[in-house]
Amino acid sequence: MMPELVSNSVDLSTKEEKVVGPWKEAWRSFRKSKAALVGTAIVVFFILLAVFGPLIAPEGINEQKLQDSSLRLAPPSSEYWFGTDDFGRDIFSRVVYGARISLAVGFLSVILSAVVGSFLGIISGYYGRWIDTIISRIFDIMLAFPSILLAIAIVSILGPSLQNALIAIAIINIPNFGRLIRSKVLSVKEEEYIVAAKAIGMKDSRILWRHILPNSLSPVIVQGTLAIATAIIEAAALSFLGLGAEAPQPEWGKMLSDARVHLMTAPWTMIFPGLAIMLTVLGFNLMGDGLRDALDPKMKN
Amino acid sequence: MKTGKFWSLKLFLLLVLLVVLAACSGEEGASEEPADTDTSGDTEEAVPQTLVFGRGGDSVSLDPAIVTDGESFKVTENIFETLLNFGEQDTTVNPGLAKEWEVSEDGLTYTFHLQEGVKFHDGTDFNAEAVVKNVERWKGGAEEKFYYFHSMFKSEGEDIIKSVEAVDDYTVVFTLSRPQAPFLKNIAMSPFGIASPTAFESAGDAFGDNPVGTGPFKFVEWKRNDSITVEKNEDYWQEDLPKLDKIIFRSIPDNSARLNALTTGEIDLADGINPSDAATVESNAELQLIERPSMNIGYLGLTTTRKPFDNALVRQAVNYAIDKQAIVDAFFQGRAEVAVNPMPSSISGYNEEIEGYPYDPEKAKELLAEAGYDGEEIELWAMPVPRPYMPDGQKVAEAIQKNLADVGIPSKIVTFEWATYLEKAKNGEADAFLLGWTGDNGDADNFLYTLLDKDTIGSNNYTYYSNEEVHELLISAQSETNEEKRNELYKQAQAIIHEDAPWVPLAHSTPLLAAKKGVTDYFPHPTGSESLINVSIQ
Repeated sequence: MMPELVSNSVDLSTKEEKVVGPWKEAWRSFRKSKAALVGTAIVVFFILLAVFGPLIAPEGINEQKLQDSSLRLAPPSSEYWFGTDDFGRDIFSRVVYGARISLAVGFLSVILSAVVGSFLGIISGYYGRWIDTIISRIFDIMLAFPSILLAIAIVSILGPSLQNALIAIAIINIPNFGRLIRSKVLSVKEEEYIVAAKAIGMKDSRILWRHILPNSLSPVIVQGTLAIATAIIEAAALSFLGLGAEAPQPEWGKMLSDARVHLMTAPWTMIFPGLAIMLTVLGFNLMGDGLRDALDPKMKN
Repeated sequence: MKTGKFWSLKLFLLLVLLVVLAACSGEEGASEEPADTDTSGDTEEAVPQTLVFGRGGDSVSLDPAIVTDGESFKVTENIFETLLNFGEQDTTVNPGLAKEWEVSEDGLTYTFHLQEGVKFHDGTDFNAEAVVKNVERWKGGAEEKFYYFHSMFKSEGEDIIKSVEAVDDYTVVFTLSRPQAPFLKNIAMSPFGIASPTAFESAGDAFGDNPVGTGPFKFVEWKRNDSITVEKNEDYWQEDLPKLDKIIFRSIPDNSARLNALTTGEIDLADGINPSDAATVESNAELQLIERPSMNIGYLGLTTTRKPFDNALVRQAVNYAIDKQAIVDAFFQGRAEVAVNPMPSSISGYNEEIEGYPYDPEKAKELLAEAGYDGEEIELWAMPVPRPYMPDGQKVAEAIQKNLADVGIPSKIVTFEWATYLEKAKNGEADAFLLGWTGDNGDADNFLYTLLDKDTIGSNNYTYYSNEEVHELLISAQSETNEEKRNELYKQAQAIIHEDAPWVPLAHSTPLLAAKKGVTDYFPHPTGSESLINVSIQ
C-alpha cells in the first residue's frame, strides 16, 4: 500500500509541471493580444494616478484664485499643465484627483452589482422553478428601462450625491450580472461533478459555494471589467446632469458640465476631463475584450 | 403586379412628404423669414409678426395677482393691463386703463377716470364695477395667495385701501385708511393687472390657467415647462396695436442653450444672456445686444431663525468672509456693481454713508469665535435657473462655499427645482440661500419693506428678519409724503439692517438680452417685465 501511494503523488506533481493551469493559459493568450496589453497599461496608469494622486497633483482640488483674473481660464502653460478653470483652479490637479473618484465609483459599483447579481443569478439558476421565475422577471423589468433613465430615477428618489449615484449604478447593473451567471449555472449544474456531489449528499450551500460559483465566475470577470467602463461613463453622465458629484468634488463628468459654457472660449476646461474619461473607459474596454478572448473557451482555436 | 406596387409606394411617399411639408410651413416659416427680408427688401406684410421669446424658466401661474416671480409677469404683462403704467424704461407713472386721476389734499382719496369702450377678451365690459370686483378679490383673498397685495396694501392685518367705490360707470374712488406715498406706483405694478370678473368668478383657482384680461394679447395655450402662446387681441382698444400677431414664450433653462437657439434662429429674442457671452453676441452681425436698465439686487440670505444664523455676529462674519468684488468680476464679468445696501443706489433714499463689509477672513474668524460657532455644516442653497440678478447661481455658490470654508464654515450646496426652491425658502427651510429681487416700482419701499420688514415674513422676506425699529421706520416712511423726510427714514433703516446683516448683498447687475437684428422697438423695462405691445419684426 505505502509505496503505491508515494509513487502516485510523484506522478501527480510531474503532471502538473507539464499541463498548464487554466489561469496560466488564459494569461498566455491574453498576453498575445497587443490591444489588451495597452488597455491594461492604461488601467494600471490610472490606478497609479488615483493611488498617488496627492503626490502628483501640484495643488488641491479647490484652490480658487478669483482675485487674480489672469489665473482664471488660463490656457495650458508650464505652470498649469492643463490650464485653469473659471475659478482659477488647476485642471491637472483636479483631473488627477478625479481619477480617484471615477475609479472608486467604477470598482465599488461593479463589485456591489456583481455580488448581488451573482447571488441572485446562482439562486435562480440552481433552484429554478418559481424562484427563477420571480428573479428573472424582475431582471427583465429592470432591463426594460433604459439604464441611464433608471439611474436618474433612483438618484432622484435617494437625493443627488456621489454615493447615491454609486448605488444607482450598482442597481442598474445587477440584472446584467444576474442573467449572465444564471445561464452559466444552468449549464454547470448539469455537469457530472455536480451530479456526483449531489449524489454523495453534499449540502446545497457547499455545492453552490465550492463548485458552482468558481466554475461560473469567468464570464463575471469579463463582464465586470467591461461594466467598470460603463459604470464610469454612467457616473460621469449622472454628475454631468447634476445628480452625482457635488461641488467642489472634481468628478470628471461634473467638470465637463461646469465647463460647457466655456466650450468656445476655453476648450481646455472640457478637453482634459473628457480625455480622461475617454482613456479610462477605453482602457477598461480593451482589457475586458482581451480577458474575454482569453477566458472564453469558445474563442479558442 | 410589380409596377403597381411600386406606384402605390411612390404615391404613399408623396403623400407623406406633402403632410410633412404642410406641417412644417406653419411654424418654421415664422422664425426663418425675418432674416431673409434684409436681402429681398419685401413689403412689411411679408414678415410674419410672430415673436419667439426665449427665457430661463416657466411661469408659475398666469394669474398676476397670486404670483411673485418675474417669469410669470413677463407673460401677464401682455395679457393684463393695470390702471396706471410705468414709463417705457423708467418708473414714472403714466396713464393706463385709467386715463386721468386725482389725489385729494390729505392723500387719502384717489379718483381714477377710466378708459371707455374697453372690453375683456371674453367680451365682458371693462368698467368701474370690474375694478371694484378686482380689488375686492385681492382684499378678500388669503394672505398666502395674494402676496403682493398683502405686502403692498396691508399692514398688520389692516387694509390700507379702506374702500373702493364705483361712482359711475367710468369713475372709481379709492379711499385709504392712511396716506401711502408710493400708492400710484404700487397700483401700476404688474400684479395689479385688472382681470375679467366673469372669468375669475367662474374659474376660481383655475383662473391662472385661463387668464382673461384687457391686454393687447390673448392667451392661447400653455405647455408646462415648454411654452406659453399668446395671440393678438383683434379688438384691442388702442388703434393699430399690438404690432405682433403672436408671441411664444419658450423656456430654455440653460443660458448657453438659449443663446444657441437664438443663433440658429429658433427664437427671436433671448433673455438672460451670460455676461461672458456678451462679446459673442456683439460680434455677430445678425444679432443685437440689449441691456436692461439695472434695478435689482442679488444677495445671499441668511435665515435668521435658523442656527447658526440666529446670531448677528455669525451673519456679520459671513459678510466679512465673502469676497464680493471677486465674485462680481468673475461671474458677472464686471457687468454689475458690488452691492452694499439691500437696494440699488439709483433709488432715492439710498444711504451712501454706509460702507460695505470689506473682504476680511481674519475678522470673520474672530467674529465666529466670539459668537461661539461650533463648526456645524450648513446648507448653502443655489438657485437652479439663471436669474437676471444672478446669471449663474451654481458658480457663485461654489465661490461662496470656498470663502466660507476658508473661515471654517463647512457647507453643502443644495438645489431644487425653481418653484420648490422658492416655496422652501419662503417656509424658512434654508440656512443660507442665494436669491435676488428686481424692483417692481422703483421705490425704496419696494425693496426695504417688501424684502426685510417683519410684515412680509412668509411672502418676500425669506430670511425671517424681524426688527421692531426697522419696522417702525418703514411703516412711517410709507405714510410720509415729504420726500426728504421719507428718504431720511429709509437711510436710518438701512443703517440698522447693515448692522443686523440678514443678507450678504452681492451685486446689482445689468441684465443682458439679445435679439435678432429685425426685432425693433423692444425696450426692456427695469422691473424685468414689459408689455411687447410696440414690438415689431422688420
